[in-house]
Amino acid sequence: MTDERDLHPLEKALLAHLEVNGRSTDRRMIEESGLPDEGSYRRAVEWLLSRGLVRELAREERELLQLGPLGLSNLEAGMTPEMAMMRHLSSGPSTLQEIQEDDTFDRGRWGSAFGALTRSGTVSREGDSIRLTADPSHSVFQDIWETVYVPLSEKGSIDMSDLSGDVEELVRERSPRRGRGRAEFVIVSVADRTIEITGEGLDALSRARSTVTIGAITPSILADGSWRDAKFRRYSLDIPPSQIHTGRLHPYRQFLDTVRKRFIALGFSEMRGSIAENEFWNNDALFMPQFHPARDIHDVYYLEAGAGVPPPNEALQARVAAAHRDGSGTGGRGWGYDFSRSRSLQAIMRSQGTALSARTLASDPDVPGKYFGIARCFRYDQVDSTHLPDFFQVEGIVLGEDINLRHLMGLLALFAEEIAGAEDYKFLPGYFPFTEPSVEMHILHPALGWVEGGGAGLFRPEVCLPLGVEVPVIAWGLGLDRMAMLAMGLDDIRDLVTPDLARLRSIRVRPDSLLTGKGE
Amino acid sequence: MPKIEVSREDLFRMAGMDDPGDDELAAMLSLVKGEVDSSGGDRLKLELNDTNRPDLWCVEGVARALRCYSSGPEEHLARLPQPAAEMIVDGALEQVRPFVAAFTACGWAPDRSGLEALIDVQEKLAASFGRNRTTAGAGFYRLDEIEFPVRYRAAEPDVSFVPLGEDKEMTLSEILGETETGRTYAHILEGAEYYPVLQDARGAVLSFPPILNSQTTGRVRPGDSRLFCEVTGTDWETVQLTATILACNLEDRGSSIAPLRVVYPDGHSGETGGCPVIFADSMETTLGRIRSVLGTDLSASRVVEALRAMDYASVRVEGTTVLGVLPPYRRDGIHQVDMIEDIAISLGLGSFQPLLPESFTRGRSAPVEELADSVRLLMVGAGFEEVLRPVLTSMEKVLDMTGTPEPPVAISNPMTREYGVVRNSLLPGLLEVESASAHASYPHRTFESGEVLTAAGDGSCATEVMIACLVCGNDADFGDVHSVLGHLCRSRDIELSLTPVEDPRFVPGRAAAVMLDGCVSGTVGEVHPAVLEAWGIARPASAFELRLDCLKG
Repeated sequence: MTDERDLHPLEKALLAHLEVNGRSTDRRMIEESGLPDEGSYRRAVEWLLSRGLVRELAREERELLQLGPLGLSNLEAGMTPEMAMMRHLSSGPSTLQEIQEDDTFDRGRWGSAFGALTRSGTVSREGDSIRLTADPSHSVFQDIWETVYVPLSEKGSIDMSDLSGDVEELVRERSPRRGRGRAEFVIVSVADRTIEITGEGLDALSRARSTVTIGAITPSILADGSWRDAKFRRYSLDIPPSQIHTGRLHPYRQFLDTVRKRFIALGFSEMRGSIAENEFWNNDALFMPQFHPARDIHDVYYLEAGAGVPPPNEALQARVAAAHRDGSGTGGRGWGYDFSRSRSLQAIMRSQGTALSARTLASDPDVPGKYFGIARCFRYDQVDSTHLPDFFQVEGIVLGEDINLRHLMGLLALFAEEIAGAEDYKFLPGYFPFTEPSVEMHILHPALGWVEGGGAGLFRPEVCLPLGVEVPVIAWGLGLDRMAMLAMGLDDIRDLVTPDLARLRSIRVRPDSLLTGKGE
Repeated sequence: MPKIEVSREDLFRMAGMDDPGDDELAAMLSLVKGEVDSSGGDRLKLELNDTNRPDLWCVEGVARALRCYSSGPEEHLARLPQPAAEMIVDGALEQVRPFVAAFTACGWAPDRSGLEALIDVQEKLAASFGRNRTTAGAGFYRLDEIEFPVRYRAAEPDVSFVPLGEDKEMTLSEILGETETGRTYAHILEGAEYYPVLQDARGAVLSFPPILNSQTTGRVRPGDSRLFCEVTGTDWETVQLTATILACNLEDRGSSIAPLRVVYPDGHSGETGGCPVIFADSMETTLGRIRSVLGTDLSASRVVEALRAMDYASVRVEGTTVLGVLPPYRRDGIHQVDMIEDIAISLGLGSFQPLLPESFTRGRSAPVEELADSVRLLMVGAGFEEVLRPVLTSMEKVLDMTGTPEPPVAISNPMTREYGVVRNSLLPGLLEVESASAHASYPHRTFESGEVLTAAGDGSCATEVMIACLVCGNDADFGDVHSVLGHLCRSRDIELSLTPVEDPRFVPGRAAAVMLDGCVSGTVGEVHPAVLEAWGIARPASAFELRLDCLKG
């Protein structure tokens, strides 16, 4: 035996066909051998040729005609632009401008159709007026539909030698060798071989017939024990595996899950809040003055009148209002303006994760305490490749009797390494209305280079004291979308929330390297 | 964040130093919380992060900070002469644009680029600090063409003059309606009975603040070394601080500043006095408080030295009390922590050794997230692909296309209709996935767990975490999602029962309220063909949506 592998059922069927017919051609065998389809035939014949069980006697080049992109769109429209133009003109003369108003085809294609019809003498132009000069029903442009498009809509390809002279000429004219992306037709050359069964082929076939070979193992084969006397057909083990679609977590959610786990591992408790907030928790409690530009109507989404978020208790509102007005109870002089209590209750979409921290500080937090939250926040921006209307932000706070700037920097360094996968980092003075001192961290990301690693600081006494917290509090926040895009290999932020399942399935992530974006 | 564009040459000449190159400059800018946005040739774009320090939004301010840091604090607007000229305010402006500040600056003759820098500061302060010229807007004039006293008066809309950039006389209403600047800022004076104008003693109109200057007096040219400057606006402090910052800048350029006396009528909220105002905000802290915030023991002399390098007007330590006075161009010190931060910036953050907190705390996941984790894993185990959709969506998608029974909460100032409401259900998002995924191989088994906003009858809204799933394919039917519900309930040890309901999203007779342990927890059904049609989905689908916390069991 020349090959260890047993005959595949397809090979066996093809050999049996050749045994009867002696020799045949590719074209005939595709239609007559009884194999399920052309692909099965081609696989079987290649296997048999490579094993010497059949041989090639002769080869004839043949041309097959297929539809190109323009042809496919004609098929979809149910006609070619030439046919459509002839139809327009069959009810009387018209102008190119008028015909071009029909948006079945674009202006350029109407123009080319006019050119083709003019050259063939089917239409002529006087001034702007175009009219028919020949009977459209006998035109080659009509024949091409019947003899080319209709059969191609059923078969996918037809033999060029089956076409009549003028149709063939037109088809060749419209089958450019280059620029197939805009072609009406595509001609591909295929070889039609004459194949003959060899002596080894006949032997292999008779051997295959004399032994029972088992393909799929079935329950009945196991039950009747017939496998004991049979031979298992050997499989080709080098073919690529087929693809399966499985259940799967969303890649961005996996990224967020990883961030959550890191924070929990560092001893932080998770905070949760509401996607809609009132201005009190989103801004006022954070000592952002009501005239602060970031609170502008062009920066925050306001909920419609009548929609509300439960108000904070009266005493708390009064303390925060006092802190804004004159700083009373905080050791400062406040912002010195007329604080509006009603403005404070306006419902908005949460614009910063720090709103979570404000709520936590006001609800008797643990001291010492460490909290974090991943918050979906909303920004007033046009959606484009770098902006979504909502984004995820992670926020962390640390409360303690003796917490100070040095601990802030120590924690930031820890976050840089643990959460952002940074190789190096530096601290710069920053500005946030709710922290003082404020620090901006820049991190050396393994893939992004130096990037912003989040804003941080010690909450101002004007934030903590009215909320009932007397110890210093460190706060840190970071937007996560950009890091996630990197981890997922995306360059368009809209892909993070894509509705396209095929696109989503193509996004690969490795949870072990999500935070650094590099394989480890 | 304010961004400014400056000339490098101008910046470093004023800072009194050689150009140190971009890297060194970037490090130095941490002093002013600034960053290099871009740099090319002599042009340098800077981003200044401190929205409370308008004095830094100009080349003079940044240069001053760098200069004082290396060579010590300077005197600003010291020993000004007594006001020799007056500005008389018309009481009728109280309701329109009540406040004005003014001074003269003589000596520095700006060349073309100097003049550009001057106009940049004026524009930047009016735009960012003055809220687009509302709370404050400034103007410069050729002093020699003005006869004092200048009057800041309320004028009828038909008063006319030749505005800057025009060749004919125009009335105030024509200026608002017909010039580009007029139309841009007309809203500031909307509804006013009178308009503000500045007129000199001869009655010549200097300007129509905050809209346009006059072509004759209000056009400063390169080489003009004698300037008159005014600031008008609706907020006293913004007006005064803008004037003070402009005066400090011109003084740094080499001009001598002479104050004006602004005379308000009796009963006006403005107080008669000299301009520019020399603010001298006192700050007080203690060495102990400094230590507790910065975590480092600093000697009195180091603290004094650090604050002097930040151009404090005066600093002294009495016992353990530290007393500092801010320079006149700063009003951002509202708590002792602000002065303490100045010390940290002056010393450089790099001089503080990072530490980790030592106390022990327990890490914990939020209960709802823990539940979500386990339900999401059950869904993945059942072969479902998780999706993530935006929270903001459109009224059309939620109501018209999906037929959600309850209307969502709407945004009152949406950027676009497409993101005009807050989702109250996850199903429209899953349907949108289907409508965008006809080319992805079937079957489609998708789910999302996420936040929605629901409104109670009284208008109060609440965030709820939901879980929804959808099956779509040639033979998708009720049984597909019903069996998933069964799977979730068995795994969570919850009793499942269904009560038929009518719901426009689902086929009649194939929709049910989902009862988990006897409580209404969500809806399940076969998606109505009308909904499929609205979304352009060509295959059958079935879906459910539940409140996640009902799966707690």
